[in-house]
Amino acid sequence: MSAYGTTRHHGQQSASTTPASTTLFRRLTWEGTVPLEIRVDSKELPANSDRGLECYYIQAPRVSYLPLLMPEIRRFLMDVVFDEAAGKMLKEEEWWFESEEGTLLKWHWPIGLIYDNHTISASIRPSSQTSTSHHNLQVTPLKLILHLASPPTEKLLLSPSTESCKQAFMGQLKEADFIRWGNTKRMTGLRKPDQDGIWEGIKEHNFDDYWRVASKIVPTTAPARSSSPPPASSNPSMHTRPPSADPQSAPDRDGAYTVRSVPVRLYLPDGPVMQDVVSPTLEDGSAHTLAHYLSTHLPLLFPPAPYSGPELAYALIHGVLVPPDAEMAWLGACMAGADGWVSVCVGIAR
Amino acid sequence: MAQASGSPDDSGRLATLPWTPGDASETAAEALQALDTYKKKDPFKVIVRFKAVGNAPIMRQNFYKITASNRFQAVIQFLRKELSWKSGDPLFTYINLAFSPAPDDTVSNLYKSFATEGHLIVNYSTTAAWG
Repeated sequence: MSAYGTTRHHGQQSASTTPASTTLFRRLTWEGTVPLEIRVDSKELPANSDRGLECYYIQAPRVSYLPLLMPEIRRFLMDVVFDEAAGKMLKEEEWWFESEEGTLLKWHWPIGLIYDNHTISASIRPSSQTSTSHHNLQVTPLKLILHLASPPTEKLLLSPSTESCKQAFMGQLKEADFIRWGNTKRMTGLRKPDQDGIWEGIKEHNFDDYWRVASKIVPTTAPARSSSPPPASSNPSMHTRPPSADPQSAPDRDGAYTVRSVPVRLYLPDGPVMQDVVSPTLEDGSAHTLAHYLSTHLPLLFPPAPYSGPELAYALIHGVLVPPDAEMAWLGACMAGADGWVSVCVGIAR
Repeated sequence: MAQASGSPDDSGRLATLPWTPGDASETAAEALQALDTYKKKDPFKVIVRFKAVGNAPIMRQNFYKITASNRFQAVIQFLRKELSWKSGDPLFTYINLAFSPAPDDTVSNLYKSFATEGHLIVNYSTTAAWG
């Protein structure tokens, strides 16, 4: 059975520098998983395969990548489905995934992003069987078809190897670093063991290994100014930043509210992906909220206040409907993916 | 112009659902139409400035205009062609001497986030320079 998605590591993050609430949300983000159903294209099953068992279910970490699941999937197929001789003929570097609707799945996208993208793309398909009402976001397995040959390399863009996945991951981390600070000094300043360690954290799905390094590059939520207390969430029992827990080291040069820009990408159903400069605070000094971000980027889908009409669209981050008053800087520190990016997926309300 | 949103039978299907409020199909149609306006491709062009790093050959012309909706992959392919690079010859590309963007990111996004003095600066190298 899958070892993924289990909470194997429960060490404590260094609480002296990171507020406990930040660590909590980072852990919730890290531990998020999605169900996948993986089925070999029946036309490509080698002779003598056990056709009754060609489906494999896995609860995969949102922050992981498809190439990292391949060893487990391969093991299952070799042990259970493929005839031994036929299995030996298959070349794993030619395997590739497609969704049921025929969308190619990119090797370098985090699995959670692939899942959320599928959810929002389904929201614009009236014939879709699954309920896409966001008030009832059903967690159903994302059905993947595994092809065993003839990968459309031009469209997949990268090879399925773990190494190229790592390179793409590091590239994203660096781009996020550049977005935040206008340089990549924090990333290039990491020693080789740290650079390897952060990827090992992803591969092994180890929260502590990952954050031991990531905390050197991802800003904390310690406030830059006491005048703008970011609201935590609509849930009064979850104060993200009890004042006593925050180190009062203003001005905090590495704080989430002092970055030049928050690394955010906006995903629309079936594309496009939008990205630009997202400053943590607005000109009047108030915090840049998700509501403001959405209504400035997509005013037709998220009409600015005052608006009393029906809801037209919704926004998911890691599969969660995030409160509109969530602040972009807070999201960047607490709900970024492991690649450093806040991925906002927009679906159509029905 | 935006195309008609959704599929033709869209509103009809929604209207027949007994539990759908009367204006739900209208709302969905409005949302889909709004979505279409955001799917329109950026028509503007961006100036890309290529800069060789290390031993990489220098290009005689290094300013090019490229449609912003292109993916970065198209920039890489263009560069390979200009340099007469054979497939398999290593070529590494970076923005602002700092990072390699994902090949599926668009020139438009990269320009909006990283443009320097109105140019998107693309560095290229025959060896991995900023890993």
